[in-house]
Amino acid sequence: MADTASTFKQDLLGAIPSLRAFAMSLAQNADKADDLVQETLVKAWDKQASFQPGTNLKAWVFTILRNEFYSQMRKRGREVQDSDGVITARLAVHPAQQGSMDLDDFRTALETLPEDQREAIILIGASGFSYEEAAEICDCAVGTIKSRVSRARSRLQEILNVSGEADFGPDAISAQVMGSNAA
Amino acid sequence: MKPNIAAATGGQKKAGRRSETLGSNSEIGRKLKQYYDDLVSDEVPDRFANLLKQLEESEKASATPVGEGQ
Repeated sequence: MADTASTFKQDLLGAIPSLRAFAMSLAQNADKADDLVQETLVKAWDKQASFQPGTNLKAWVFTILRNEFYSQMRKRGREVQDSDGVITARLAVHPAQQGSMDLDDFRTALETLPEDQREAIILIGASGFSYEEAAEICDCAVGTIKSRVSRARSRLQEILNVSGEADFGPDAISAQVMGSNAA
Repeated sequence: MKPNIAAATGGQKKAGRRSETLGSNSEIGRKLKQYYDDLVSDEVPDRFANLLKQLEESEKASATPVGEGQ
């Protein structure tokens, strides 16, 4: 018993850096992000019994964090989202100088994405989850995740003025995204 | 002239994994990882480890059967 509990604690500890990164990507504010992580850890601890050892703990806590994020957003009555306007205006400083886009520009561009697209591209492109895992975390269909990632990616390319990858055109990319079930 | 569709689709198969969709071939994919790794490598404040310790301790305390402690 005690052993299971302390393994669980160790695993939770190990997940904190990723949880914080995911929280930051969602909340875009360090204080809010850390509050989210704290809330997530407490919830995870309480729900400990419902976690099945051997399954993906990281995916499990990401799910908790994500639910927490959206429920807090609902409670707050949705603070005004930056609906493209303000942040996009800040981006008017020509971001991409031919292949040398700045990380700050990227961050700003990422902030302009709708949450569902942002979380999808983060889960798939950065956190290392599979489409199936991401779909489970976001409680939606695999195809939905794929299309969100695809839209997020095109939007980022557009904002950052990155010419679509030279090695394969935009059509090939969406075909890939849509057709990667076999992978 | 028809483009060589067969060759194009054949070539995509191996590129169909997510690692390549947002992978090292892609500027967006690279930035995304850089952005995220930056966040992951951020130093974790002690409050989280302390919190887990507290949770663990309070659980142990309440798990001790009443009257049978000591």
